[in-house]
Amino acid sequence: MPAIRTMGPIGRFLAVIFAIMLVSSGLVRAEPHRGGTLNSTLWPEPPGIVIGIHLNAPTLLPATKIFEGLLTYDFSLSPQPMLAESWEVSEDGLTYTFHLRRNVKWHDGEDFTADDVVYSLTEFIPAVHPRSRPTFERTVVTAPDDYTVVLTLKEPYGPLIRSFDAISAPIVPAHIYRGSDIRNNPANQAPIGTGPFKFSEWRSGEYIHLVRNEDYWLEGRPYLDEIYYRFIPDSASRALALETGQVQLATQNDIELVDIARLEALPNLEVTTKGWEWGAPISWLEMNIRREPFNDVRFRKAVMYALDREFIRDSIFFGLATIPTGPIHSSSPFYTDDVQTYEYNPEKAKALLDEMGLKPNADGVRTEIGLLGLPYGELWDRLSQYIRQALGEVGIQVTIETADVAGWGSRIANWDTDMSTTYLTTLSDPALGVARSYITENQQKGVLFTNTSGYSNPKVDSLFAEAAREPNEEKRREIYHEVQRIIADEVALAWLVELQWPTVYNSKLKNVVRNGLGPNDNFAEAYFEE
Amino acid sequence: MPQLGFVLQWVVKAMAVILAITILNFFLIRLAPGDPAVVMAGEAGAADRHFLEQVRRDFGLDKPLVVQLGTYVKNVLTLDLGQSYRTGRPVTEMLFERLPATLLLTGTAYLFALIMGPLLGAVAAMRPRSLFDNILMVVALVFYATPIFWVGLLLILIFSVQLGWLPPFGMHNLIPVQGAVAYALDVLKHLILPAITLGLFYVAVYVRLTRASMLETASLDYVKTARAKGLPEWRVATAHILRTALIPIITFAGLQAGHLVGGAIVVETVFAWPGIGRLAFDALFQRDYNLLLGVFLISALMVVFFNMLTDLVLRIADPRIAGRS
Amino acid sequence: MPFLKRFAENWGAVAGLIVLGLIVMMAITASVIVPVDPMATQGRPLLPPGREFPFGTDMLGRDVLAGVVHGARISLMIGLVSTVIAALIGITIGAIAGFFGGWVDDALVRLTEFFQTIPSFIFAILLVAIMTPGLASIVTAIAVVTWPPIARLARSEFMSLRRREFVEAAVLSGVSRTRIIIFEVLPNALSPLIVMSSLMIATAILTESALSFLGLGDPNRISWGYMIGAARTVFRQAWWLSVFPGLAIAITVLAINLVGEGLNDALNPHLKGRVRVET
Repeated sequence: MPAIRTMGPIGRFLAVIFAIMLVSSGLVRAEPHRGGTLNSTLWPEPPGIVIGIHLNAPTLLPATKIFEGLLTYDFSLSPQPMLAESWEVSEDGLTYTFHLRRNVKWHDGEDFTADDVVYSLTEFIPAVHPRSRPTFERTVVTAPDDYTVVLTLKEPYGPLIRSFDAISAPIVPAHIYRGSDIRNNPANQAPIGTGPFKFSEWRSGEYIHLVRNEDYWLEGRPYLDEIYYRFIPDSASRALALETGQVQLATQNDIELVDIARLEALPNLEVTTKGWEWGAPISWLEMNIRREPFNDVRFRKAVMYALDREFIRDSIFFGLATIPTGPIHSSSPFYTDDVQTYEYNPEKAKALLDEMGLKPNADGVRTEIGLLGLPYGELWDRLSQYIRQALGEVGIQVTIETADVAGWGSRIANWDTDMSTTYLTTLSDPALGVARSYITENQQKGVLFTNTSGYSNPKVDSLFAEAAREPNEEKRREIYHEVQRIIADEVALAWLVELQWPTVYNSKLKNVVRNGLGPNDNFAEAYFEE
Repeated sequence: MPQLGFVLQWVVKAMAVILAITILNFFLIRLAPGDPAVVMAGEAGAADRHFLEQVRRDFGLDKPLVVQLGTYVKNVLTLDLGQSYRTGRPVTEMLFERLPATLLLTGTAYLFALIMGPLLGAVAAMRPRSLFDNILMVVALVFYATPIFWVGLLLILIFSVQLGWLPPFGMHNLIPVQGAVAYALDVLKHLILPAITLGLFYVAVYVRLTRASMLETASLDYVKTARAKGLPEWRVATAHILRTALIPIITFAGLQAGHLVGGAIVVETVFAWPGIGRLAFDALFQRDYNLLLGVFLISALMVVFFNMLTDLVLRIADPRIAGRS
Repeated sequence: MPFLKRFAENWGAVAGLIVLGLIVMMAITASVIVPVDPMATQGRPLLPPGREFPFGTDMLGRDVLAGVVHGARISLMIGLVSTVIAALIGITIGAIAGFFGGWVDDALVRLTEFFQTIPSFIFAILLVAIMTPGLASIVTAIAVVTWPPIARLARSEFMSLRRREFVEAAVLSGVSRTRIIIFEVLPNALSPLIVMSSLMIATAILTESALSFLGLGDPNRISWGYMIGAARTVFRQAWWLSVFPGLAIAITVLAINLVGEGLNDALNPHLKGRVRVET
């Protein structure tokens, strides 16, 4: 240690003090307390608890404690080891090699091997997992030995490395599912996974109960003894449960946004909006570009200028949102804000409409259109009402159309709307969650969450395709920057807010939001402070 | 045996109602816009055409309407109400899971109204134009005019938020208490506000009905005769007046019983009470057809059942009615 | 005008009439007396009642007073229109059943019974949801659900009137059945029907408010029930959002009830105090 020898006596003294402080702080922060029962809210009661067969939000929260993927992702969506200890990607991006952990057992005692991975990626996912099927259809999966898995592709696919979390690619036991009718397999009622928690009981209408996996592959984990996911149907009841400490965790849409500020101020509760980087939800106002006047980009720009998105963020989402600039979420590594932005400016909106030839009539109305609002609850109703009011002020008369969830979905899928509001998770990679809304070839009539607006720009199509194929991450970034510039300039969609889904948790509960998967992390590291 | 005829008559009525309602429901809901397959597939699945088709096949949504109806009718008659589209669980199971909560709520509200109403009304009738009578009439008029859900919200504001005496939501403590007695008491505590909310409207109705009915009966000749004979007032009231006055009350009560289920939907929503009313409402917005049909059917059956009960009670109270339809 | 005199003696009915008149005036002149758009943001959200906003503001910063005043239009209009339609349906069915008798009567009675057996509120919810929420669907649903009692009353009225001499005379002299029903029988059957209908307006308003409360109202208009329903998530913190619209509903319905009963007592003095079993 040449540095210490060159230090004077005072320097060495300080170094020792510093070292002692370092060690003692480490001692104080020693091992997290082992034990404790975590009560979390979960609503609505999910239809199942096997990832892939069901992909609803309430399925994922408990299921991600039971099932794991090869990788996980931190806050900046960089891959981290999970069931795979290490991995390599070839220079040409055509070969991915994963080295699996060796001491992993399934909850029923069988060994976890590469065969399980091969089965999951080549049979399970294509059979049930609609979102990941197209991704893994590009790969050929082989297992040269029991603990190595190799994926080969015909052409490079950038998003692949971000598709190995438990939600996108859950690893399920081959010895249970192979050859069976997956959807009706009895194991679905009591799933077997590799995760830190085992399934214990599902009492319908009351709770799902998970217990510690004593043979979990990570020594000393998980810290918690058990987890209860309790079904409490009313948001006010859930808030009450948090306040009184009967429940220690609530997330996503469990708590009404209007209550968050109040809960955050309480001494026994904390609130965080991190942990949804993996999902990255954006809400937008979609205009049917196949219809007039939406096919004129000036009209779309006018709509953007007419909406006060800061008001939307503050008054409708109670500050729990950020303002998007384009199709890619601000938490994504591919994001750029160097695009055309649209501040709230009704005068500019009116000028654009005048320029288009849409002059106001005697009542001040320039045109009449319909708005099909997302029927997910009061917050979205208020959003529709605000949009109606804001557009009304620049002369666009909006009639709010109502529908139930199925009707709403059906009309949008069949291109039978003027404007509609919705939100979508843009996922961990633009090729997975963003491109689907903008590329021409993904216009599938009758299918929801495709390119339903009818936006079409061949340049954008080719850019998206190129970026997906490009193996170099830096180059991909540049391509996506250009895509964002074009799409923002053309206002393909009127992006409203990036949703934040606050996670409210008891102050004594630690490590529930520690990576990009947030509450969908497997909770191996979660614990209660003494 | 007249009893057999009575029972048979009601069984036939019940079956006719079931059939008619089943067919009515079926077509009504199918006429609605919206595709249940899209909802079931969810955000991920709905984006995949193949997946949607698969869902349609799995749940028989692609067969012709007539075939679906025929299957449905046959199933209903064998007590198979199908599976809930949303959860995949049998509808009968989901309904019977939540039915006790609704029965508890509506039953309690019903009894509350049936006891308090006539009681207060009778007392008022015995002292017509007194202060008690006047105040009671005004209060009854007010509760007759107020929307049930608003009463519920007000009661929560007063007794839960301000005074903190009673819990504001749910049927039991968020984490159910152990022990049968403790649990029963917990449920009882949660039952008070919603039952009163649902019952108050009917208390108001019965109060006015009883009072009017008793006053009218009191002026009848045979009552005057009884009084003239020197019988004590309370005997006159109970033995003579009440017996006759009760007839229209019971008739009315029977008719209202069925509609309590409708009122229960609103109360269950306000109080987050886990009954079939709330289940129906959630199912509605998800277009969960099978579940909806199931709720509607059960409600109609409840109405038929209560009507039969009313008829029975009426016959016991006044055998002359047995002749009428 | 003994009828008017009897009505005027009933101070409850008179009070009800005055209040109702005020409410109707308020609804008609809403844009004049409170020239504020109830659906536009006027101030900061969730302001308690104060000087600038006597009834406070809601979650979008909209004026609650404006909502209550303008909301009267929707509630009253829906109540009135749906009752008129229900009355038309009910009177038609009841008239035909009561006048013609026989198997026609039997069939229509069965039909009426069936509609009365269906739990009416659930049926209304189904209808509104199927036809997608809006003014038209709400009015239709309420009408479809409330016509049976009117039909029954009309039927009994027509049945008894049919046997009266003047009707027999008309039949014998060859006047067409339809003319008899409309010009001879109907005018005499009208008064109890009007009384019943007026009371049904109150029920219609209550039903509309319940439907709107549950979220099945027309989203392009403000109505009292809708205001209460929209404020459900914050009603613990913002009591004014539920209290004022609820009071509006209660007062309106109460006034209508008083007027209706006053009418009933005035038209049928010999039945004053009689038990009226509302079916």
